[in-house]
Amino acid sequence: MANDPKGPTGAYEGFGADWQPSNLTADQARRATDWVEQKIDKRAMLTSKQRKQDVRDIMWQLEKEGEILVHRVGDHNDPVMAKTLYGWDKKIPTNNLWHHKSCGQCGNIPGYPSSVLWLMNKLGTQYLDETDQTSCTAWNYHGSGIGNVVSLAAVFLRNFHQAYVSAKSQGLPEGTYFPLVHCGTSFGNYKEMRIFLMHSAELRAEVKKILGKLGRLVDGKLLIPEEIVHYSEWLHVSRDRLKEHQVVDVSGIRATVHPACHVYKMVPEDVIYDDTVLDGNRVAVTTGLLQTLGANVIDYSTWYDCCGFGFRHIIGEREFTRSFAIDRKIKVAVEEAKADVMVGHDTGCITTLDKNQWIGKAVDKVYALPVMADCQFAALALGAHPYKLAQLHWHASPFETLLEKMGIDWEKAKAEFESYLDEVKQGRIETLYDPKRAITSGPGYVKPKALAGGAE
Amino acid sequence: MGAHPQISDPVTAEPPVAREKLEAIFEDIRSHPVYDHEIHGCLNCGICTATCPSAHYYDYSPREIVQLLWTENLEGIYDAMQEKIWACAQCYTCAARCPFENSPGGLVMIMREVAIKHDMQSAKDVLRPFSRVLLKVISTGNQLAPNMITKEAFPDWGPNVSKVDAPLDILRKAIPMPTMHTLDTAWIVNLKTSVELYSIWEATGVLDQLETVDENLFDVVSDVMDEKREEWEDWLEEQEDDDDD
Repeated sequence: MANDPKGPTGAYEGFGADWQPSNLTADQARRATDWVEQKIDKRAMLTSKQRKQDVRDIMWQLEKEGEILVHRVGDHNDPVMAKTLYGWDKKIPTNNLWHHKSCGQCGNIPGYPSSVLWLMNKLGTQYLDETDQTSCTAWNYHGSGIGNVVSLAAVFLRNFHQAYVSAKSQGLPEGTYFPLVHCGTSFGNYKEMRIFLMHSAELRAEVKKILGKLGRLVDGKLLIPEEIVHYSEWLHVSRDRLKEHQVVDVSGIRATVHPACHVYKMVPEDVIYDDTVLDGNRVAVTTGLLQTLGANVIDYSTWYDCCGFGFRHIIGEREFTRSFAIDRKIKVAVEEAKADVMVGHDTGCITTLDKNQWIGKAVDKVYALPVMADCQFAALALGAHPYKLAQLHWHASPFETLLEKMGIDWEKAKAEFESYLDEVKQGRIETLYDPKRAITSGPGYVKPKALAGGAE
Repeated sequence: MGAHPQISDPVTAEPPVAREKLEAIFEDIRSHPVYDHEIHGCLNCGICTATCPSAHYYDYSPREIVQLLWTENLEGIYDAMQEKIWACAQCYTCAARCPFENSPGGLVMIMREVAIKHDMQSAKDVLRPFSRVLLKVISTGNQLAPNMITKEAFPDWGPNVSKVDAPLDILRKAIPMPTMHTLDTAWIVNLKTSVELYSIWEATGVLDQLETVDENLFDVVSDVMDEKREEWEDWLEEQEDDDDD
């Protein structure tokens, strides 16, 4: 960015041809900026409350009229109630969960999902991690414009239908497992698609035709989830139970939180706010968890900024991504908040903030800030192995400094992991669940004894 | 700004882009199924631009996008579709802040879709670096695969793609989730899942979009789809044979 934002015409660039300079004095400009910052630092989105309709009201009505079927969060899902932006209830399932994985996490930050599953094992939570799922395909859509509302809605309901029927492969009733979405973009996209589907009979008809051909209707109807739930919401409502298993003191850790845009800016009325977390002014997930674990959560002035991921930019225009990540997030967290770690809850953000620090050396912006997901931080606090389980070796940022502050001997842990790799080469692989459960149909599916009539 | 078709010419009165084309483009934008959901009015307050990450670095303003559409400025819309709409980072900060509940980010997505539909060169140019990802997501349903993350592909990420030196396949097997013991996709994708996804692409015009943007890529994806479908049919036949036995 040039020092003087004024172009040859004397007008500020970047705001369109008809933009007129305001000619404010420095004091006036500061006051105007303060006003904007105050607005965004508070729960400004509350102003829309009177105009916002709860899409679930339409959903229940459509079910009553016989047009759709709602996949409910049942008692077997051990729901916990949370409050969203406008004080509405959101039912968060905490048991019998179907992991809707994230392609960016599994491809690039594998310790992200493995930490979620490990925490579930700690709590005795039942779940299914299976191969019959696609990504939401929304990263591609937001980056390229290839895809459309119908394709995104069809992918959404196909995946969620599979979550609904998946338990049959284990001889359990349909609807046993409720989907838990790992990726923030999938979470935001699916919530948008549910709104579009509930508002448009035409869209419902188009998607129904496609899913009918795939055999993905229930009683001839579209299956719509009662709630669309992000894993960070599961962590949030489970945070007190998780604390009971904590073995590492994190009270000396200064943590900054990067709230993910697609988690709390897309369909904001469905996001958890909690009066006990930052006075209810910010999205509660992740911050609530860190506070419960005893970390010292530090606020910083650019908390609301995106990370710079940009969907298309992280791939094809990385100079924007890395500049924004360093200047607006990493630098501020280091210089202003004196942070030991930045903790997030979405795929693209963790990738962007973690990977785009090294290049800063080229322009004398030398910052070194460990970056990880909330579930990884929680897993470490509960005693998870930093390499075997939290898989931190995939992170480019200097997590070793954080581990030292937490009292974790990373050099010993690394040596253990390297020994384990020798075991892996011999085929002795440790997994979080029985691998047979991962395939629920098609090639490789093994019927459980009960279903196979004991012939297995 | 890069070279792109001019929308006005000071020397001749002849418009380089026909009025009919500009109208057709706007009509496709306005008739998009979610257009009315994304725009409701505009006070020109600029809070969207004030919090927009792309406005920090590009000649781009979400306020301008909304104004162009709200005032039906067809030439301006066409001009913005040449380059500006591709600057948006799709964070939706603008949408979260707009007092009118507009979604400039959502409007940009509609304009991107329409840019592809109208075979705009700008879309092809911008999406060229995206082709590897497009191939992956359309043919597997996964946007990203472990073997795409290499030091060569991301030199600006530095030397630490992995801080443990071991072959990629061994490192992947050391992840304690069996679904992730793979290199070509982020997780192992069930064969039936891929076949179902292809049906969705076909029924929703996604493959047509792909063909418009990159014909060669479309051919490669089509071949992959044919192979997977054959594989699935063969497996189904095997099951029938087993049942007969």
